Amino acid sequence: MILHHPSPETLLAYAAGSLPAGQSLVVAAHAEGCPHCRAEIARLEAVGGEMLEDMPPESLALDAFTDTLARLDQPAPRSPALPRQADLRLPAGTLPRILASAEISRWLWVAPGVRYSRVRLPWAPKDNVMLLRVAANKRVLAHSHGGAEFTQVLHGDFHDETDRYAAGDLIEEDEHTNHQPHAGNQGCLCLASLDGGLRLPWLTRLIRRSA
Amino acid sequence: MNQAGSPAPDAATLAALIRRVATARDKQAFAALFKHFAPRVKSFLRRAGMESGAAEEVAQEVMILLWRKAEHFDPSRAGAATWVFAIARNARIDHARRAKGLPPQPEPEPEAAPSAETLTLAAEQAARLRGAIAELGPEQKQIVQLFFFSDTPHAAIASALDLPLGTVKSRIRLAMAKLRSSLGEVP
Ligand SMILES: [Zn+2]
Repeated sequence: MILHHPSPETLLAYAAGSLPAGQSLVVAAHAEGCPHCRAEIARLEAVGGEMLEDMPPESLALDAFTDTLARLDQPAPRSPALPRQADLRLPAGTLPRILASAEISRWLWVAPGVRYSRVRLPWAPKDNVMLLRVAANKRVLAHSHGGAEFTQVLHGDFHDETDRYAAGDLIEEDEHTNHQPHAGNQGCLCLASLDGGLRLPWLTRLIRRSA
Repeated sequence: MNQAGSPAPDAATLAALIRRVATARDKQAFAALFKHFAPRVKSFLRRAGMESGAAEEVAQEVMILLWRKAEHFDPSRAGAATWVFAIARNARIDHARRAKGLPPQPEPEPEAAPSAETLTLAAEQAARLRGAIAELGPEQKQIVQLFFFSDTPHAAIASALDLPLGTVKSRIRLAMAKLRSSLGEVP
């Protein structure tokens, strides 16, 4: 059972289209497995629909309609080439469908029992998204965040000082959180989005500490 | 474009027009949809900060997407305006990315069948939602509108309104609880 969902304002920003791409991807991954949030997003989009209906109509140029008509039967743009995805050797269906259009690197070593794979979004290449794998009962060193961090648990579970998080849960943390996640008996696989560009702030700190 | 005196078509009529585009590639139906939606989409994009020329260009793109995607419109899943809103929202994001030389985000494959929860959002609920939005207090309505009309995160909305972030969040939560209960959902 899913116990941790995105906050109401995060779901609203997601439905409104104002969430940064990395966070939006993690929320979409959560919604794939969460009927509760899918229903909430559908409601929020319906609010968007009503807002659109309420808009005072603003005239287009006189030739806008004929111009549009003339373009209707032009072929749709070709879909982009398939992204490069390393084989992470995960059981089929482990990764959310929304990752299908992202580039995924091979596993990179961070610390004993901790690996990450860089997820690059061609439409938002500066957004900092990763898959993080922590072996059973391993601990990620204490870290604080340089910005907001969204984490979706894809497999297994972990706990920190305050709570336990299992597959399906989404954890939203702000820059003030300081925590030390500890994986459960099956280990833990997460999809995470971190604010703050390509610097992987806490990962580099982890690497430095464990060196 | 809507000053001809004819009343705006209702949700069921709009849904039927989209179905006619999907099944018969009916250009008259498309013309009626263009007349209704294009000026609203343009207005929506202008509020979201787009200048007039760009808003007009993207509004036309939205209508072309409506033509291409009409067969994916499922009236049991979302009302016509909701469906067009989602297309316009994504077109706005793609436009901003294109300006930076970035590709659009590919759409995930549509779900096979609408789930029971989304079925409760059939077109006839639009009227109830509309009533509930009209009944929101001015402060709550303003915040919900700001969320939909800007691409700024909530912290920026809070500072633009000169409000603490906590106040923005609690107004959002109150507004959402009201809308949810108007739809007969458990808050
Ligand atoms: Zn959820």
